[in-house]
Amino acid sequence: MKESLMDILCDPLDKSELELEVDERDGEEIIEGRLIGKETGEVYPIEDGIPNLLPPDMREE
Amino acid sequence: MTNEKAHTDTIDSTLAERRKIETTVYQPAEDSALLADAIHEQGRGRLLEVGTGSGWVATTTAADVDAVTEIVASDLNPHACHAAAQRAASSDDTTTPVSVIQGDLLTPFDANSFETVAFNPPYLPTDPDVEWDDWMEHALSGGPSGREVIEPFIDSLNRVLAPDGIGLVLVSSLAGYEEVIRYIETAGFEHSVVIEESYPFETLSVLTLRQQ
Repeated sequence: MKESLMDILCDPLDKSELELEVDERDGEEIIEGRLIGKETGEVYPIEDGIPNLLPPDMREE
Repeated sequence: MTNEKAHTDTIDSTLAERRKIETTVYQPAEDSALLADAIHEQGRGRLLEVGTGSGWVATTTAADVDAVTEIVASDLNPHACHAAAQRAASSDDTTTPVSVIQGDLLTPFDANSFETVAFNPPYLPTDPDVEWDDWMEHALSGGPSGREVIEPFIDSLNRVLAPDGIGLVLVSSLAGYEEVIRYIETAGFEHSVVIEESYPFETLSVLTLRQQ
């Protein structure tokens, strides 16, 4: 995902802000990392450039 | 009674037909082409496509619609997200960026974020006793009424639309056109038909929704 997407993404649980942690990037593009709810503390993984912002109860695994 | 039975059989066979083709990711069909045409006419600015499936509508829009400057494509299905990201990456058009987000309807998006939000919702009415519980069910089934996905979408559409933003929503007669219109009006939207096509067993319409 592009870092600029942070402007339009929010925590699906309470619409609060997200914090970005980057493990791997390619310029503007975040390849691996995570988004963390500033209020909820919920962790949303970014894998292969795709953030998974499904609420925890909808995630399979 | 006989008619009702025939109608149900038709829906079941439609589902079976569509399921035969693909079991993981919804592939572009007539409804996808109609939504793409409606975006061509009315889409602009930053566009969100909810339930992008294979990503065909998003990538076609990126290549063909100059008024759309940025595209965000979302789906709850991880296989669809990967297919959409691959399709976008292999497209020749690089001027309009396409980003893929895995998420449920409008829940991961901030208020006032999009000039256009496009959605071809799952709308086939399904018997609650017949559950496949796989990704294609999510892509096709609108629950017993056919409206179980479009209604929560309409509930939160106003929040994510920028001022003067529009929703472009595909509605099938199979999900009950009048019922969907009533729901849209109750939610406070003005609506008009952008494009409409009739097929043997359903009429598909794409509606523009504007905040009143």
